[in-house]
Amino acid sequence: MVIVMRSGASQGEVGAIVSRIEELGYRAHLSQGVERTIIGVIGDERPLDPVAWEMLPGVENVVRILKPYKLASREFHPDNTVITLNGLRIGGEEIVVMAGPCSVESREQITEAAQAVREAGATILRGGAFKPRTSPYAFQGMGEPGLKLLREAADATGLLVVTEVMSPAEVSLVSQYADILQIGTRNMQNYALLHAVGEAHRPVLLKRGMSSTIEELLMAAEYILSHGNYRVMLCERGIRTFETYTRNTLDINAVPALKTLTHLPVIVDPSHATGRRELVEAASLAGIAAGADGLIVEVHTHPDRALSDGAQSLTPDQFAHMMARLARVAEAVDRKLDIAEKAPLAVAP
Amino acid sequence: MIIIMRMGASQQEIADVLHKIEADGFRSHPIYGVERTVIGVIGDDRAKRPDTYERMPGVERVDRVLRPFKLAGREFHPDDSVIQLNGHAIGGTEVIVMAGPCSVESREQIMEAAHAVKEAGATILRGGAFKPRTSPYSFQGLGEYGLQLLKEASQATGLPVITEVLSTRDAPLVAHYADILQIGTRNMQNFALLTAVGSSGRPVLLKRGMSNTIEELLMAAEYILAAGNPRVILCERGIRTFEPATRFTLDLNAVPLIKQLSHLPVVVDPSQATGKWDLVPAMSKAAVAAGADGLLIEVHPNPSEALSDAAQQLKPDTFAQLMRDLKMLAPAVGRTV
Repeated sequence: MVIVMRSGASQGEVGAIVSRIEELGYRAHLSQGVERTIIGVIGDERPLDPVAWEMLPGVENVVRILKPYKLASREFHPDNTVITLNGLRIGGEEIVVMAGPCSVESREQITEAAQAVREAGATILRGGAFKPRTSPYAFQGMGEPGLKLLREAADATGLLVVTEVMSPAEVSLVSQYADILQIGTRNMQNYALLHAVGEAHRPVLLKRGMSSTIEELLMAAEYILSHGNYRVMLCERGIRTFETYTRNTLDINAVPALKTLTHLPVIVDPSHATGRRELVEAASLAGIAAGADGLIVEVHTHPDRALSDGAQSLTPDQFAHMMARLARVAEAVDRKLDIAEKAPLAVAP
Repeated sequence: MIIIMRMGASQQEIADVLHKIEADGFRSHPIYGVERTVIGVIGDDRAKRPDTYERMPGVERVDRVLRPFKLAGREFHPDDSVIQLNGHAIGGTEVIVMAGPCSVESREQIMEAAHAVKEAGATILRGGAFKPRTSPYSFQGLGEYGLQLLKEASQATGLPVITEVLSTRDAPLVAHYADILQIGTRNMQNFALLTAVGSSGRPVLLKRGMSNTIEELLMAAEYILAAGNPRVILCERGIRTFEPATRFTLDLNAVPLIKQLSHLPVVVDPSQATGKWDLVPAMSKAAVAAGADGLLIEVHPNPSEALSDAAQQLKPDTFAQLMRDLKMLAPAVGRTV
């Protein structure tokens, strides 16, 4: 950390800062400039809060030198983290596509969706059983029966399951049915929940808060990592901006930025990022072209009848069309997306 | 400037940076930390772009220490700037209220508005003759004829006039009729226009760009000051955020923050900031409580017939009530209206 003193800060003010630094066990390094004095704080600055130092008399601003996260940083772990799960690799050369309906609504609906996304080349089934809805009067999800249906549909089609967990009390329940635990955008800074999934034995897909910075996303990941769970994927799902035409604004910068800052896999959610079905394909292609390791896409067999997020769900045909184009883009950026070998599956009994 | 080297930067990379600092005429001061090396650049580096160092091998990032503005900074000019105009001091204890219609529409309309705001206690008459409209098909203002009407209304009431100038070509014309030149939000970074009003001889009210930072606003002011015009008033008029319920979001943080960073007077425009006339009185009071030196308020004798900004213009009686409320509030924060 470097502390920049105001021009004209007194000797006494500088002295007080230096003694405070030394009291805390750091070394101070004074640099007298033409206009002002700069004090370097030498030692691991991560526990220090720059704002607290900015409040001290004579201080103009405080510059952090180290990144506030460690386990999530690429400096700590230079190679990409690859999460292996039932033969599937997330963060490797292969592009992973997670697809399915926003919510699990019925056995028929989730089974149909699972078959459709599997046929088009998806490897992980998404679907919400616990739904965080803006209105308390909106459909809140089926709960545990929804988890059971999700598991059944996935097992019948050979897919893995990703689903959201909303509270620490439900982590063990959701872990029984899901292969990957999803932390939603509204819970990115729910630290009790991050702690709980940090102790779970399932990989975690951590969605970026809709108004959180990339650094805050990495700090949230740091919570999970620091509780011992190293299998964390990050998800860019659009951020809130002034633009009202789309539901959110996909921050595609975040993909290469995260790849530079961290070793964790990065997934893009084009459905929430746009909120509009007709934009999902383009956003998906852009996500992969920008270097994302995978996608999480909403697909519904009858979007017009969906209980949530119908406007942003693709039909199975649209999804299959997108997957074919995605495979070509993946190849062009030296990634792999295998859609050819998946023969249509028989309808489950 | 502080140059932060990457963890594991080589001796040679550090030496190259030190060499470049010296070659640029500054002194360098390396700090060798536990994880990495940080190099202080000593000297007045305002004109030096940080990216000339940022792109060197081994450099992680560069942070500025000096603020990039100078003439606009409070360090350069510790006392508040006070602008004298027709016996009123803008930036002094008096809260200056500039009021009038969004656009000058007719002789009758501007006369009626001028008398109404004067009677309620406003000190300056506002009104647009050149209007920057989102649509090229919307009313674009009356042009020079509007300026003439504004001048007439000014002479009839004794109120000085503030009006917007949109192009460098119009600057001398507008300066001929107006007492204060306004630079609108869409032109905050029209640098040719800033330079032109910098040599106009008239005080300038500079509105914050709707997506500009406070530092960018102060850099825009620096353009005008550097061109030789010390009489600059800054205006917070709302910034663009994700909230669609109001036209913009009034950034009241900007008022005390600009007061810390700069010596220039700060005015708030609650009409543009909210876009809703019924929110204007509350935001006006909040602005004065936060330390603003003045307000810029849209008042129209008949808002429902207005050719622009109908939803955000106050009726004369609402404005008169607001002025009475402000007279009560101002003394509580050591100001007068």
